[in-house]
Amino acid sequence: MKNVSEKLVWDKIESFNNEDNIEIDFEDYSFSKLKIGIKDDSISTKEINEIDMDTLASVGVNINEDSDSGKYLLFGEKNYVAKPQFAGVEILPIKEALETYPEIMEKYFFKAMETNKNRYTKAVSETVPKGYFIRVKKNVKIKEPLHAGLFMHEEMSAMSLHNIVVLEEGAHLHLITGCTANHTLKGGLHVVVSEQYVGKNAKFINTMIHNWGPEFIVRPSTATVVEKNGFFVNNYYSIKPPRNIKMDPFTHLKGENATAKYMSILFCLPDTHSNIGGTVLMTGENSAAELVARAVNYGGTIVQTGLLIGAAKNTRAHVDCSGLMLSDSGIIEAIPGLRAMHPDARMSHEAAIGKIDTGEVNYLQSKGLDEMQAIALIIRGFLDIGIEGLSPEMEKTIKEIAELSGHGEE
Amino acid sequence: MLTINNLHVEVQDNEVLKSVNLEIPDGEVHALFGPNGSGKSVLIMTIMGYPEYKVTEGSILIDNKDILELDINERVKLGVGLSEQRPPTIKGVKLKNLLELIEHKDKKGQLYVNDMIEKFNIRKFLDRNINDGLSGGEIKQSELFLLLISNPKLLILDEPDSGVDPEKLKKIGGMINESLRDKRFEKRLPSNHLNRNSGLIATHSAAILDYIHVDKAHVMINGEIKCYGNANILMDQIKENGYEYCINCQHKNNM
Ligand SMILES: Nc1ncnc2c1ncn2[C@@H]1O[C@H](COP(=O)(O)OP(=O)(O)OP(=O)(O)O)[C@@H](O)[C@H]1O
Ligand SMILES: [Mg+2]
Repeated sequence: MKNVSEKLVWDKIESFNNEDNIEIDFEDYSFSKLKIGIKDDSISTKEINEIDMDTLASVGVNINEDSDSGKYLLFGEKNYVAKPQFAGVEILPIKEALETYPEIMEKYFFKAMETNKNRYTKAVSETVPKGYFIRVKKNVKIKEPLHAGLFMHEEMSAMSLHNIVVLEEGAHLHLITGCTANHTLKGGLHVVVSEQYVGKNAKFINTMIHNWGPEFIVRPSTATVVEKNGFFVNNYYSIKPPRNIKMDPFTHLKGENATAKYMSILFCLPDTHSNIGGTVLMTGENSAAELVARAVNYGGTIVQTGLLIGAAKNTRAHVDCSGLMLSDSGIIEAIPGLRAMHPDARMSHEAAIGKIDTGEVNYLQSKGLDEMQAIALIIRGFLDIGIEGLSPEMEKTIKEIAELSGHGEE
Repeated sequence: MLTINNLHVEVQDNEVLKSVNLEIPDGEVHALFGPNGSGKSVLIMTIMGYPEYKVTEGSILIDNKDILELDINERVKLGVGLSEQRPPTIKGVKLKNLLELIEHKDKKGQLYVNDMIEKFNIRKFLDRNINDGLSGGEIKQSELFLLLISNPKLLILDEPDSGVDPEKLKKIGGMINESLRDKRFEKRLPSNHLNRNSGLIATHSAAILDYIHVDKAHVMINGEIKCYGNANILMDQIKENGYEYCINCQHKNNM
């Protein structure tokens, strides 16, 4: 006979397993509609109201703001593009890009990622393609971040995306992709395939920001290939988690001296399940991968995984997963993984899960802060992981996450 | 300013303070002597309000107001300020992040803070995590700086001089005197008027007393204040005869 508290633990484990292996029914979200598509699939910014614009801004996407580097928005099934003011940068809805450039099909479309990788990639492959194609030409370096917004506006709808980013040799790009939904929506299904190609000497900072309603299901599948001396940064922030998200973006460091950095920050609420990982395969000599994950858990479930695979000479890898537990009811599981497939691979990991140190809170209070300020400051420090390409808005977001968590403790 | 009556304090179910009585009048600075482990830091942390020190009996009054029910930061608002003997390091939180939150909103206050940063060589610590990797003397410097800018009315210093080299000691003495200067009266009183905040300084050596005028010293032994008197004379006696002298001394504290 199990005692009561033990039973609670077993129940928790069971619901953890159920939620982690959740099988959704695509038709609950009228997914087959996306196989037919709509006739007129463009939208003007005038058709989007201020509240939705604000929601987009919360995920780092400012559609109306002037910018030389261009914008992309998918609003439901409709595309909006602001053309970049630079020669050598292209942003197109993927469907138009496929029609314009036959080489995309040959070189990029389901080339980094297999069509049948999982049931979600397969589902995406069966829809009319939506999403962006972004290409930065050889040696073109864009300083200002390019914004892409993916916005869902209909209750219990599905969004299926296939995004492709190509950085040719020596190109630089910082892309901010914000994924969100109208703030009154409860649920929806968001399925994405992203393929990213970082050429020789190219540098790609990809910042993804999520802000979801309580019943959303999110399934992104990402594959990135990095050539010689290429540099890839993958930043992920979750401001408000969906009910269930599972992602494990894969990067192949193919060329020598290629680098990948994954930085993720998530804030987790009750009744949500976030399984956020990252896999980096290093076959290029001297390539390096680093994965840093920070999670602040206010009662939901967080699984932080990371697998770095060193399969060439002098590859270097480090995984660091840390979680803060702010409530009694949440779960954090940290699975920092290393796989050496070459004797000269140097790999290390660290993981730490704990609650906020009350001694630290008391100390800061003795310097004049109130309890909430002290907690927020400690969380901000915990989340400060030296993110590359951190914009002021994102810094603000981090501050907000920290402050929210401070309030949560009350 | 500070009145402590019959204070009993437990730490992890052990009674550490056994009936402590202490009175610091407005404008006076007192020293607190006593052997290692006698309870000086416990008394100090209890005055500040750290919850792991449980008051089982007695009272602590600031300006005749009982503060035992107040949180740490509420005590700070009343003017209590502490420089800790062994403050924690706070990973990820830079000194400047803390400053942003406690810095005075008005121009004058900000200028004062900047002034103090320069005067006491704090700039090099601003971008570092609080107390992280700082040397013993540097930690004291940072603690005193934070105390200084909070403009306390009652300064509590737990061994501000231990592990500090003679040159830095002078600087630290200067910082303490700066904090003791009562800024509230500056405008209204003639400049020669001696107006000080109150203070309680725990120390083993009288080194710091070369820089700060102390009105009185108390000796804590085994959780009780056993004796009081002139700081310099007491210290000389302790150096010569050990704490035995205080246990048997004629100034038994019978308050
Ligand atoms: N957090 C704690 N947990 C357990 N015991 C404690 C704690 N804090 C203090 N004590 C105990 O209380 C007693 C008094 O300690 P305290 O730190 O006040 O001594 P002190 O007079 O400040 O000594 P020192 O001169 O070495 O700083 C010691 O026996 C110490 O071990
Ligand atoms: Mg002590």
